[in-house]
Amino acid sequence: MNIGESVILAFDSIRVNKLRAFLTLLSIAIGVFAIVGAGTLVSSLEGMITQQLADVGETSFWIQRMPKIQRMGEGRSRRKPITYTQYKQFKRLMTSTDWISAYSFTQGMTVKNGNLSTDQDVNLIGCEEYFFIINGTNIVEGRPFTEDDITSNRNVAIIGNDVITKIFPNQNPLGKYLTVGSQSYEIIGVLEAKGATFGQSQDNKIVIPLTKFLTYHANEFEQSLDISIKAYKKELLSSTIDDAYGAMRVARNIKPGEENTFDLDTNDTITDQFSGFMTFISVFGFFSGFIALIAAGIGITNIMLVSVKERTREIGIRKAVGAKKRWIMNQFFIETITICQVGGLFGILLGLAGAGILSSAVGLKIVFPITWVVFSIVICTILGLVAGVYPAMKAANLDPIEALRYE
Amino acid sequence: MDKSNTIIDIGNISKVYEMGGEPVYAIRDISLEIKKNEYLAIMGPSGSGKSTLMNILGCLDTPTTGRYFFKGNDINDMTDNDLAEIRNREIGFVFQTFNLLPRSSALKNVELPLIYSGMKKSERDEIARNTLIDVGLADRISHKPNELSGGQRQRVAVARALVTSPSIILADEPTGNLDSKTGVEIMHLFYELWKKGNTIILVTHEEEIALHANRIIRLRDGLVERDEINHHQRIE
Ligand SMILES: Nc1ncnc2c1ncn2[C@@H]1O[C@H](COP(=O)(O)OP(=O)(O)OP(=O)(O)O)[C@@H](O)[C@H]1O
Ligand SMILES: [Mg+2]
Repeated sequence: MNIGESVILAFDSIRVNKLRAFLTLLSIAIGVFAIVGAGTLVSSLEGMITQQLADVGETSFWIQRMPKIQRMGEGRSRRKPITYTQYKQFKRLMTSTDWISAYSFTQGMTVKNGNLSTDQDVNLIGCEEYFFIINGTNIVEGRPFTEDDITSNRNVAIIGNDVITKIFPNQNPLGKYLTVGSQSYEIIGVLEAKGATFGQSQDNKIVIPLTKFLTYHANEFEQSLDISIKAYKKELLSSTIDDAYGAMRVARNIKPGEENTFDLDTNDTITDQFSGFMTFISVFGFFSGFIALIAAGIGITNIMLVSVKERTREIGIRKAVGAKKRWIMNQFFIETITICQVGGLFGILLGLAGAGILSSAVGLKIVFPITWVVFSIVICTILGLVAGVYPAMKAANLDPIEALRYE
Repeated sequence: MDKSNTIIDIGNISKVYEMGGEPVYAIRDISLEIKKNEYLAIMGPSGSGKSTLMNILGCLDTPTTGRYFFKGNDINDMTDNDLAEIRNREIGFVFQTFNLLPRSSALKNVELPLIYSGMKKSERDEIARNTLIDVGLADRISHKPNELSGGQRQRVAVARALVTSPSIILADEPTGNLDSKTGVEIMHLFYELWKKGNTIILVTHEEEIALHANRIIRLRDGLVERDEINHHQRIE
């Protein structure tokens, strides 16, 4: 008897025992769903982060009061905010690069053009002229800030697409004016459209000079500045970082031997932190999937035992006409594996669909998690083997006469 | 004594079951020799051990004591797999209750022994088809058992027993579940097979049926009561 024969038998028994088969398939599908779903999510997130970091470039790094991804139990209050004065001193002390820009932002601003107004949801960013170079932000129309814009503290703004759609519909906004709070700004540039990440539009923002921002729009509560820095060349990155540590310690008045009261992130440290997060999702998905699959395995063993019992006469007939133990074993093995793989296939489809829906909801580009899919199929096959051993042995060792007599 | 024509040779075969600590003899001390192209009927009242003997002869069951040589080979020396192979190649068993796979077509049922003998799909398909035609079921090949009459089901069972061209056909009350007219049809089939040179052992409790055989063995309480040549063999 060949494998094809057994696979047909397997589908036969799925068809005959629809409910039972459905429940089994479902439990496997859930397990695989968890694994593949987590896998897809991780691959997609990794894809996104890699893309974003590539946009920024590998020679940029950031200083802020607290780490970008905070670990549990680290108090925020113990560190004093990074002030504008400290930033100015830092900038003066930094000799290795000019590409430095502090920045700060406030969410939930309303931007107006005459009668037209945005919702109270615009992200207002204050920064300096090098911000765009350092963070890989492209300006598609108009120009970025000049040194003059910043030192003269001009009322100029660079705006995102969403703002244009809302308050400058079908117009070229360059040269026009908009108002935020008490201030009026001339539009000098348009930011490259970025689309949405995690369901949040990246284009609903306007950028103005830092000092304007701090004077008129900053949150009254201790707003701490973030500083972005870019080394001139890759070879200079580590010396520039050393420089930045030194300058910041002086600016923050940290005595030798005392710990830093600020945090410095490079692409690498961010990737590291994210990969920790990814590992968590992966491990979580894997383990919950694994536990579901173990439960499914126990379920399958049970179902196959019931199947063996129900088909005792069939087994008796097969043995009576000359089926050897091996054939009976194979039949039940292949049947179990087939059920597991069909369940796995459903799970993979569910997982991909689930991750797809989630990803498109939050604006992630889907990455097909090929390793996880292959891994799931392998796991399902092994599951079938393990779950099938006992029922298959039981079937193979039935006594033909007793089996034929079974009612 | 010339043993070259002997298919089955059993000596002092007993089958004992423990029932509540007491040994119960299903058959006791039976010795038999069955030669090629014999047509043997086994008779006896209910519980006399007919089925037990048949199952042992068909290598489905093993005796508690005694020796059994099938074509000169000692059954006691054989493994489960060896016995499966003998059942597959040498023995065609027809059960009183048909024992067909309910969800498979007549063709699939008849093919089953050939699957286990490792025959190629195309080959076994043709042989199974021809065997079904031989038993008069040319127009019922793809019917499932529950779409067939009792007599037709028994024909399928006979076809399955014949399909491997076994050395011997064992039939345990093949007409027991059939009306007399269909019973006659099945007996006719056996008669034809015997005429072609097959060896047949048949269990029955009807004299009418037993008269088709050329040798009749009568069992009582697990013992052979009489073993005689039938001089009045009925020719269909
Ligand atoms: N598995 C078993 N356990 C205990 N006793 C058994 C078993 N199988 C058969 N027997 C006993 O062995 C004896 C012979 O049984 P068997 O089935 O061979 O009779 P039979 O001649 O075929 O009867 P029938 O004509 O009713 O089919 C009976 O007394 C029966 O009770
Ligand atoms: Mg009987």
